[in-house]
Amino acid sequence: MIVANQKPLNEIWGMVAPYRRVLIVGCGTCMTVCGTGGEREVAFLHHALRLIESKSDQSNHIFSEYTIKRQCEPEFIEMLAEKIQDKDAVLSLGCGIGIQAIAERFDTLPVLPGVNTSIIGMSTMQGVWLEHCVACGECRLDETAGICPVARCAKGILNGPCGGTKNGKCESNRDMDCAWILIYKRLEKLGQLDKMRRYYPMRNFQVIPRPRRLIKLVAGGNGDGQLSL
Amino acid sequence: MEALQIIRSDNPFPSVCAYICSHPCEEACRRKQVDKPVAIRALKRFAVEFGGDRMVRSEAKTIFPEKNAIIGSGPAGMSCAFYLRKLGYPVTVFEAHSEIGGMLRFGIPQYRLPKEVLDGEIRRMTGMGIEFRTSTPVVSLDLLFEMGYQAIFVSIGAQQSRRLGVEGENKPGIVDAITFLRETNLGLKPAIGENVVIIGGGNVAIDASRSALRLGAKTVNLVCLESRSEMPAFPTDIQYAEEEGVIINYSWGVKAILGKEVITGVELKRCVAAFDTDGKFNPAYDESITQVLLADTVITAIGQVPQIPESYGLKTRGSTILVDPVTLNTNRKGVFAGGDASSGPATAIQALANGRLAALRIDDYHRHRYPRSMEEESKSSIGELSSQTIQAIRKISRYEPPLVPPEKRKKVFQPVEKVYGWETAAEEARRCLRCGSGAEILFPDKCAACLTCLRVCPYSVPRIDQNFDIQIPADQCQACGICVTRCPAMAIALRKPWDRRYIDEEMERYHQKIKITGSKPLIIGFCCQYGLFGTSLLAGLWKTTGAGIWIIPVMCIAKVESYHFLKAFELGAEGVFLAGCGEQCSRENTITEAKAQIKRARSVLAELGFDINQLQAYLPEQKDNNPEGTPEKWLEEFIGHVGSLHLKSLLTVEEKVDRSKSETFK
Repeated sequence: MIVANQKPLNEIWGMVAPYRRVLIVGCGTCMTVCGTGGEREVAFLHHALRLIESKSDQSNHIFSEYTIKRQCEPEFIEMLAEKIQDKDAVLSLGCGIGIQAIAERFDTLPVLPGVNTSIIGMSTMQGVWLEHCVACGECRLDETAGICPVARCAKGILNGPCGGTKNGKCESNRDMDCAWILIYKRLEKLGQLDKMRRYYPMRNFQVIPRPRRLIKLVAGGNGDGQLSL
Repeated sequence: MEALQIIRSDNPFPSVCAYICSHPCEEACRRKQVDKPVAIRALKRFAVEFGGDRMVRSEAKTIFPEKNAIIGSGPAGMSCAFYLRKLGYPVTVFEAHSEIGGMLRFGIPQYRLPKEVLDGEIRRMTGMGIEFRTSTPVVSLDLLFEMGYQAIFVSIGAQQSRRLGVEGENKPGIVDAITFLRETNLGLKPAIGENVVIIGGGNVAIDASRSALRLGAKTVNLVCLESRSEMPAFPTDIQYAEEEGVIINYSWGVKAILGKEVITGVELKRCVAAFDTDGKFNPAYDESITQVLLADTVITAIGQVPQIPESYGLKTRGSTILVDPVTLNTNRKGVFAGGDASSGPATAIQALANGRLAALRIDDYHRHRYPRSMEEESKSSIGELSSQTIQAIRKISRYEPPLVPPEKRKKVFQPVEKVYGWETAAEEARRCLRCGSGAEILFPDKCAACLTCLRVCPYSVPRIDQNFDIQIPADQCQACGICVTRCPAMAIALRKPWDRRYIDEEMERYHQKIKITGSKPLIIGFCCQYGLFGTSLLAGLWKTTGAGIWIIPVMCIAKVESYHFLKAFELGAEGVFLAGCGEQCSRENTITEAKAQIKRARSVLAELGFDINQLQAYLPEQKDNNPEGTPEKWLEEFIGHVGSLHLKSLLTVEEKVDRSKSETFK
């Protein structure tokens, strides 16, 4: 799931201050789950901004709130149309996708980011997410017993481990487990240690032209299902 | 007072019930599944005595023309009168005695129900427009119809005592308990000797024996056929009787009453079984085992039957009036019956319920409506607590209402039980599990299944169903409110309005007050209503509203969210506090949750240049000798602190103004 962090309050205030009527838009899916941009956080931010304003020398801001189910779907974004009519700016607490989607649809209005989108995260316990996937586009988790070396190895090596592991921990970050030790142990459990012997060619670390476009073959679409680089 | 209004909407004489009710509600109370049921009766008494009963009015208007006559002013009759009057009918209650109340007045001793309490309720009923005609026995129902009454409710009770049927029963010195109790309650001080023997195992027998003690008997022996566990009297009353010195002789029957001109003793025979194998009352004796009890007075309390005048023309079943179970109609059109007269001796609360049912049925009769079966009304029931939930619930022992010690109380007719104080009442009321008023996912479309509610619940209540939707089962939820405050999608709400204590609405009202009057709060306090903060401290604090302390009552601190604190400062407060029951809180994790909400708010406040101590919490670690001090002392210190900060800020502003005056403006 996409995980983001709310921006510091003073940074948000700095962005929002020049605009008078601001609509704070929340997202009801990923941002709700990671506790950053759901309806509750929108309410909290709303009141924080009002409090800031009351203590500053300004007094002309009008904040309003609205949370849509997902900011990455055109149909849901369309539901903002009425609310946005008399506004001067939108402060979106959606992930980077949502912010851009809103900006594209309502391109006569400045759309400000309220969050820093960070990682694709795995929830381990309440409030803690670990980046276990970097969307490299070449998933080989079948070979590595379900543990991703691109995300979880500090060097991102594909034929690891390097010589620097110590007591199962990474030499560059002593708190991090060495991904390749984890992979080895689990392959052992699965009885698939022969996979350690296979050699993987290097990944293409040249700058990958972005944005990559993935067109899937879905009902009504006409793509070919290949990730084009 | 809110509690009292709710109580009075369903119960015509809560003050009476508060003293003497057999509390079947406590048997059904789900707290029983954890430890002991909530002391509902004792709490009702607290509500009645401290809830400003004088200010809760019972009013009624006459809407319909049909006149109703009620025969007998006991609990069934009075209850029927109350509800018929509330529905809008003219009501007249006919009472053969010179005083109103039936068994409530004549059968129940003063130490259980003081007559002032009963008189208070009767006054309330007269105030509603119910007409009482005392010293007016009703001889003929036809006469009542001729007088214009269109419905009659016969609630004459069961006042005739059964006879023992043993040798010697006609000697002087034997009296039946009903007569004995009536004379005692009228203040006539019936003559009893030194050694009194009471025959019977029910509440009437217990009442008679305890009254005999108070009238000066030296020894009081109670004899009953049943074993201890089979005795029909209320277990607490049996216990009180024994504490006061009544000797209970279980499993004995009466063989004969001894003595020539006066009674000298009672000969008993062993009762081997009071009930037969079918469970029916069918005493079996072993005549070879006997004993003799010394006695100069014998009081019989072996059951009562109604005295139904033949002139009424009513069909009976056995000794009681035959009624249709749904309509409460007798064989005569327009004549209804209820209470002990149709059920046989039962409890007061059963009579009240029956009277109420009768009123509804009489209303149906007048309005030509088909009576709905009462079954429909109360079929929704709640499941049992799971063992997981029970384990997580904080165990708090039941606070019993204080009793006058047996040595003192057995000499006087003053009430045996004292009422709770504010603190004990709050502590006992906190044990309530708030069944059915817990959280529900009100907006499932908003729910993102983030599992926060599942993870923060101290009682592990929310669960994932097979569609991967989250369900919060109503029969396990303890209504702490933590998931409500934590849900990131604000999709959860509490089911019952009274538990929500709309914080946002209260703050909006303050907002309007500021706009209209221009007054500003110095301090805003969120005070938990479940603890002392809902009672004496709050009452004191309300008075200081003029001094700038504005209180927002909350139902448990777990319901206050971080943005509420921000809002409070936005309203202009210089200091904000949260006061809760601390370690006394009956719900788990509320302190940690409240502290987390405060931390979040403080992080914003710190960024804005506030002193974080302008937002504080009073969550006492223990009941007495708290390191944080008493609530009053803590509040004083808080006010002082906020005041000095306010002063400091004013001075800084002045400094700034001075400095800016001396600099050139850009």
